[in-house]
Order: sequence, then C-alpha cells, then structure tokens
Amino acid sequence: MKPEVPLALQKLAGSLLLEVAPAVGADYLQRNTGVSAIMLQMAAEEWERAAARRVEENEALRALFRDSVRVVADAQLGRRLTEAAGTRDPDLRVSTLEAGNAALRALLVELHAHVEGLDGPAARRVEDAIWAELRRSTERRALALAPF
Amino acid sequence: MCQHPRVQALADRFAGYVAHRWPDASDVRVDELARIHGGASRETYRLRLRCRRGGADEERRLVLRRDPPGSLIETERSVEFRAYAAFRGSRVPVPEALWLEEDPAWLERAFFVMEEVRGGEASPQALLAPPYAAHLARIGEQKWTILGEIHRADPLALGLADVMPPPALDACWRRELEHWERVIDEDELAPQPIARAGIRWLRRHPPRPAQKLAVVHADFRTGNFLVSPDGEILAVLDWEMAHLGDPLEDLAWSINRTWCWARDGRAGGLLPRERAIEIWEKASGLRADPDDLLWWEVFSSVKGLGIWISSAKEYSAGKSSDPVLGLTGWWLTNAQDRALLESLGRLS
Repeated sequence: MKPEVPLALQKLAGSLLLEVAPAVGADYLQRNTGVSAIMLQMAAEEWERAAARRVEENEALRALFRDSVRVVADAQLGRRLTEAAGTRDPDLRVSTLEAGNAALRALLVELHAHVEGLDGPAARRVEDAIWAELRRSTERRALALAPF
Repeated sequence: MCQHPRVQALADRFAGYVAHRWPDASDVRVDELARIHGGASRETYRLRLRCRRGGADEERRLVLRRDPPGSLIETERSVEFRAYAAFRGSRVPVPEALWLEEDPAWLERAFFVMEEVRGGEASPQALLAPPYAAHLARIGEQKWTILGEIHRADPLALGLADVMPPPALDACWRRELEHWERVIDEDELAPQPIARAGIRWLRRHPPRPAQKLAVVHADFRTGNFLVSPDGEILAVLDWEMAHLGDPLEDLAWSINRTWCWARDGRAGGLLPRERAIEIWEKASGLRADPDDLLWWEVFSSVKGLGIWISSAKEYSAGKSSDPVLGLTGWWLTNAQDRALLESLGRLS
C-alpha cells in the first residue's frame, strides 16, 4: 500500500497540527485537533509493529508457561499452562493475535498469583522470569511520546 | 460572541437561571460562552455574565461545569462544589463557588458555577516553557506547601463530613484499594497483569493507619492548578475525586512518575522528589514514613491504571468522543505500568 500507512498518518498529523489547529478558533476544538494529531502519530508507530510485538509476546508467554509447568503445584493450572504453551496463532491479523494475547495474559495473571504463594528457589526463578516478561511487555508497548 | 445556535441557546438558558438566582438583577446577558478543557468528566465552559444589580452595572467572568449526558455521579458534583466552598478564603487558593444546581430543568443536566480565575496557565507542557519555566522551583515550593495546607486543615471543622464520609484511620487504604480494584474489574478491556500484581502486593503489605484524617484532593498534580506568568499558583482546580482519607495518598499521587513532565525525574516536572516531600512535611506538620509512602506510591499507580483503563473503555464504548480519553488510554496505561514496575523495584 503506497504511500505507506505510517507515512500517511504522520503527514495527516502534521497537517492537523500545523495547518488545521491554528485555523480553528475555539480553544476546545483546537486542543482536540492537537490531541487527534498526537493519536495519529501514535497510530503510525503502532501500525508498524502491531503484529510483530504480539507474535513476539505470545511466543514469549508460551515459552514461559512451558518452563513454569514443573514448578506449579496446582494440577489443573498445570494442565492449562501445558495446553496454552502448545497453542499457535491461527493467523497474523492483529485482531486474532490480540485475542490470543488476551487469553495468554489472563493465564499469566493466574500463574503469577500462584507462584507468589509458593516457597523455594524454583518458584522464585519463575517469578523473576514473569517480572522480566512484564518488563519486556511494557517495552514492546512503549510509545515515543510517552512522558518518561 | 456566541456563534453556534446550541451554544447561544445554552447561554440564553443560563442567563435565565441567573435571573432566577438573582431576582434583584435586571438586563441579564451571557456571552463569550466557550467550551474549554476542564477535566474529562464534565462539560466545562467559560462565559461572561453582565447585568444591572443594585443600581450598578455588574460583570462577572464565570466557569460553568455541567454533567455529561447520562451522568450518575451526583455525589462527585456536590463534593467538588463543597470542596471549593470549604477552602475559599484559606491558604489554599480556590475559585469562588457560586451555585450548585441539581434541577435538570435549567440546563438539561445538573451543574455548578464558579468564578473564572483569569491569567493562569495549567498545562504542564506550557509550564515547562517560557515565561513559566524560569519559576519552576518557586511553583514547586508553593505546590507542596499548598498540599500541606490542605492536609493541615480539619475536615470536620470544614463541614465536609456530610459529603465526604469519614473512614476509620486504619480503613483509609482498604477503602481506596477496593474502590480502584473494582474499577479495574469492571472496566478492563484486556488483562492487566502488572496492575493485578500491584494489587496483590498492596494487600500483602498494608500501610499503618493514617496519621490523621485529612481532605484528600485526589488529583493533586501539575496540570490541575493555575499558575500566573510570574510563577504564582492562583488556584487549585479539579476537586471532583476529593474525599477524606490518608494524606499520604495525595503526596504519593503528586510525586508519581507519570507526572515527571520534564522527563528528568523531577516530581511534577518541578522539584527533586525529596525536596517535594520535605516541603510537604514542613507545611503539613506530618511525616512521610518511607514504607507507608511506598505503599501509597504503588497504590497511586494502580489508581492511575484504573483511571486510564476507564478512559479507554468509555472512549471505546462510544460514551464519549473526547480524544483525550483515547489518548490517555494509549500512552498513560503504558507509562503507568512502567511507573508501577519502578515502584515495585522491578523496572530493571
């Protein structure tokens, strides 16, 4: 698709900021125009990585579940982790990847709560791995315009 | 001049309301009515009111805060109004609160009216630029002194207990945590593993009872007060989430990492965190115990996530077309996740 979507979104954002917003008289609408421009810039950033970051995260979560199963004390949770670790993303549409990501992240919440209640170094290693994944998850979602 | 017929109609109806409130006034006119950004939960307008009263011409610049369509937040409206009224004339600068009107017959929805404080800037981005940028330290000194003054006040003597139910000192943290956990439960559009981990941590490490019961502004941050070009804080705004509780809740929110607008770690983009805490301790006469403050800092990120998650839901559900709600759902959710990881010592 030419021009590339991120390029088009950036140009639209620039037009809103530099041409439209200054011409809008009302303060409220001028500010909304500026906010809309920022959202277009963010959408451009997200467009480029949307599928890649979801594929990467879903695979990371499956690997984390595979590595965690032997530590889990709850047999039913263990089975669900094993099952989730064996899934694959059926296609690369962002909506499909997002649905898979939501299911995996919901299971991650359960695993995290469960492991926090376990004693021993193996449980701590899993917990550390979960925190590391959560840290990476924020990096994957970080936006260039974020406040820090 | 009011251009849009809908805006003109609102101005005319408001003029009718003023004539009702001020029976001794004549020739009541409302113009220059324009919507402004004043918190996403209510429609906010500035306007000019002119009339003859007591044999003289009178002109007032006012702000009208009207409930959005379908609003169910009646208590918050009266809470905000009463907070302005309670602190008027104190060391906490606030605009004069004029009227609280619950009857939707006048403007279709409930509203309240207050004086417009003119000549002030609230936008954090604007404050980081000239002429305000030369006064950031001074603004910071005032900011945390004012916060200390809010917490030094006796909320019962201010007469706020009927609109702000007082919790027991050892129940402040639980009430707030349960409220914001419920918000996340109801509004999350996707699982929130970092928020959930934060909530579990908060339950495992409860803080000590509050040192005192204080008025908690609950959104005291750079962006919610007006500053003059020479660096004076003219008014503290946006009291809609105010309640009685632990004053550390406000201190933690005010220094939350997401408000480090200058991207250099200065609290609120204004002062080093430790200096902000020192000023607050001196002004409030209270102590910020590091362990208790950490609990409230973790809580403030959970609360922030609750707000951004709700914003995203409201925008996604089409309840509001305000792009600020969509924007905060995108960027602040991620920034708040990172702030929470940092408070928990898990960012690196």
